[in-house]
Parts: sequence; C-alpha cells; structure tokens
Amino acid sequence: MTLNFNLPHETIYSEAKVSQVIVPGAAGEYGVTADHVPLVAQLKAGVLQIFHEDAGEPEKYFVAGGFSLTHANSVTDISCPEAVKLDDIDSSAVSSNFESAKNAYTSAEDGSAAQAEAQIDMEVNRAMGTAIGLNLN
Amino acid sequence: MATPTTFWRLAGMSYVQYVTRASSAVRNAAKEPAKSKLAANSKFSYNASVWEGGVQGKKVEIDVLSKAGI
Repeated sequence: MTLNFNLPHETIYSEAKVSQVIVPGAAGEYGVTADHVPLVAQLKAGVLQIFHEDAGEPEKYFVAGGFSLTHANSVTDISCPEAVKLDDIDSSAVSSNFESAKNAYTSAEDGSAAQAEAQIDMEVNRAMGTAIGLNLN
Repeated sequence: MATPTTFWRLAGMSYVQYVTRASSAVRNAAKEPAKSKLAANSKFSYNASVWEGGVQGKKVEIDVLSKAGI
C-alpha cells in the first residue's frame, strides 16, 4: 500500500510503499493493508504504527488527532495537526502534565471550557503515558 | 436525555479548539531537541478587519483562537 503522512509543518511520508499501517481511529484502532475498503476516519490521540516492507518492528508516532482517508487504489492519506515519535516523548513531563491537568480539572467549574481543556490535557497525557508504558489515572 | 456528543462540544468548544489543545499537550510532553523544534507550531497570527459599505475597517491582530471568536 502507499502511505502519505502529513503534518501542517512537515511531510513525513510521501507516496511511501509500506506493508501496513495501524491507525488510532476515534471509533477504534484498525489496520490497513493493500486493497482495504475505502474508509474515512477521524483519529484520536494515540499511536500510529507504520510497518515498512521487509522490516520487523513498526515505526511508531504519537498523533494528537487528525484524519485518515483510505482510497480504493490502496493509497492512504493521513493528516495530523501534530505528531511525535514515541522515542521523543518525555515520560516525566507526561506524568507531571497529567497531574497538573488532573488538579485543574477538579478545581474547575463543572461544564466550563476550563474543565474541558483540563480534560483534554488529561486524556492526551494519559494516552501518551499508555503509549510509553506509564499507567496514569 | 443527554445529547450524544463529545464533552468538549458540550463545553462550547469547536473541533479546531479541541485539536489545537490536544496538539499543544503533545508538544509540551516532547523531549529536547524535538520540543524546541515544535514550539513554534503553537504560534500563529494574522490580521483581520471587517469591511462595511466597501470600506475596510481597522486591522486587528489575531494570535489566539479566542480573539477570532472560535
């Protein structure tokens, strides 16, 4: 299959031949190989895994969100507003940012934008923690 | 009965606000040198003005989503 993986500030892959991608869809994680049925999916904050041809372990990126479009011709376009390699995630920053967000959440007014922002920070940091092997709650 | 939607919609946020916040959370948790390289991605600015009767109004610099009314 062919992968195009783009961020606003950088093209990570353009017409790359890969064997599979595992996509963190908002409705659930799913894998795409050649001849996959066409599909449009919103992404959640989670891990995108790219399996290169003739390589063992997948290349992993943590994406903040975005969209994945799989076309009938085995081309998949993935656009994300931000992505970092898992190796570039700082585990102590994730833990401390999660704790700050949790405090902000409990002290914010119920249903307020501030509480929603704290919840977004909690959920994204929790997902990053899961991706790098931390169990944050 | 609760509307089946996301918590951020219920709090009055748009998808743009939601995904911008999630992107900042990812950048804030990055290690150096990635963190410095990505820091600039949080910033944006543009000038906006309202036209009335064929006349361009005063330009206002928008550098946060709240100023854009989103």
